[in-house]
Amino acid sequence: MTRSPETTQNLGARLRASWLDLALGALGAGLPVFLWWIGSHTTTFVPPIGEVIRAIPDFVTGEDIWPDVLVTIERVAGSLAIALILGFAAAYVMHRGGLWGRVVDRYVGLMLGVPSTIAALLALYVFKRSEVGVYFVVSIITFPFVALTLLQGLRSADRRLDEMGDVYRLSTPQRLRHVAVPHLVPYTFAAVRNEYAHAWKVVVLAELFAVNSGMGARFARAFDRFRIVDAMLWLIIFMIILLGTEYLLLLPSERRVLRWRGSGMEGNR
Amino acid sequence: MTHSGEYIRVRDLDVSYDGITPAVSALSMDVAEGEFAAVLGPSGCGKSTLLHAISGVVQPQSGTIEIAGLPVGAGRGDDSVPIGYVFQEHRLLPWRTVAQNIAIVLRAAGVADDDVDPRIDHYLEMLHISKFRNTWPLRLSGGQRQRVSIARALAIQPAVVLMDEPFSTLDEVTARVMRQQLADLWQRSNQTIVFVTHSIREALFLAGRIFILTQGPARLFDTIEVSVPRPRRYEDPRLTELEAQIVEHVMDEWGYGANSGEEPRE
Repeated sequence: MTRSPETTQNLGARLRASWLDLALGALGAGLPVFLWWIGSHTTTFVPPIGEVIRAIPDFVTGEDIWPDVLVTIERVAGSLAIALILGFAAAYVMHRGGLWGRVVDRYVGLMLGVPSTIAALLALYVFKRSEVGVYFVVSIITFPFVALTLLQGLRSADRRLDEMGDVYRLSTPQRLRHVAVPHLVPYTFAAVRNEYAHAWKVVVLAELFAVNSGMGARFARAFDRFRIVDAMLWLIIFMIILLGTEYLLLLPSERRVLRWRGSGMEGNR
Repeated sequence: MTHSGEYIRVRDLDVSYDGITPAVSALSMDVAEGEFAAVLGPSGCGKSTLLHAISGVVQPQSGTIEIAGLPVGAGRGDDSVPIGYVFQEHRLLPWRTVAQNIAIVLRAAGVADDDVDPRIDHYLEMLHISKFRNTWPLRLSGGQRQRVSIARALAIQPAVVLMDEPFSTLDEVTARVMRQQLADLWQRSNQTIVFVTHSIREALFLAGRIFILTQGPARLFDTIEVSVPRPRRYEDPRLTELEAQIVEHVMDEWGYGANSGEEPRE
């Protein structure tokens, strides 16, 4: 079988794009390591890479780190779930319009303009450093972003599919299950992926300032006691969990759930 | 074929979306059981609105529509006749496979679970798309999607199939193949079909009777019996001759006559 010049060109372009992706990925991962290496040779507060790597086995097996890691994950997942529920409710009210729609719209707009750090500190002060305060802070800071993304989803709903539902007499549960919910799934994924990293930052920030458990609190404790290697290891764990969840959980799940997307006839051959 | 009976009975129909601007005005027409009727009119005249009203999706301001003696209206009850609808665009759920798209409307129509799969297989086979049973609609060509849409409409075994310019978005070759298949399908099933189009040749090729509408708001301008025997060829000179006569006939009414003020197009 001979390839047409166009197919060869496409293949070449795809290969070039793959190499470029690989090179950019290597640069993205290599640059921080390089900066770390320079920092460890020019300052006293950045530990050498080798020292941190040697400390990993003891750190992950010897110390009681996992309960704190789990507490932080629990806080992130819990508050993100609350933010999703609040965000959907807000998006629905804004989509319906009317007085309440306008009120919620203004409130969401206001919250989007307030810096996360200020909102977090104020909320923690009001809630007196309680566990509820952490959940409240994260949910209240992330839900306006979730609401905006889901609002886009509601606004872009295909009216023509509703007409199809009318003609074929789909019941309300059938419409929800087969028309409305699947339409909102891509927007929900976008909201979760956008706000996941945001939620992590706010949770760790809240733990730094307000509570005695969780990764943020352990990081602060290590830093206060000048245990710089431990502080660095907490940072690395933070990044591994964040990137691992993104690339090993969220992205594959999104690809699987949205596998109906795509074009071309390759699926039929 | 002589058309008698009033299987679909439309009387003095007035439809307006905003309650002020009429889209359909004082329109009356009858379609017989098993008839293939075409509704012909210029773009934007209100043909689709007429189909929406017949399907019960749009509530008319005044007038009546009956199918098999039962009144049609928005919020149709379970006792009204089932209607299949093929839209201008396929309107398939992109997140459901071909088989799932059909299964959803079958379940909504109250078809028993045991009958769903055999019925899907039967209609996919009839439209030559069995191999796409588990394919996502976005991976199909325009013609294949429209076949699925037709299979979905027929699978509920409706009393009436309404088709709203179903081939207008397809390329000409695909559209011709689809028209031929539809004509063959109708000859085998004798299903009552109301087919909306703005193509005179398409209406002549497919229909036994053509209802010609005026410019919007749509009123019935004329009714033409197509007596060319079936099976028909798209290039049949008799259709060409009829097409020329209809063009001549509707020229004034559709706004292209000597007194209409429209410049002839190059």
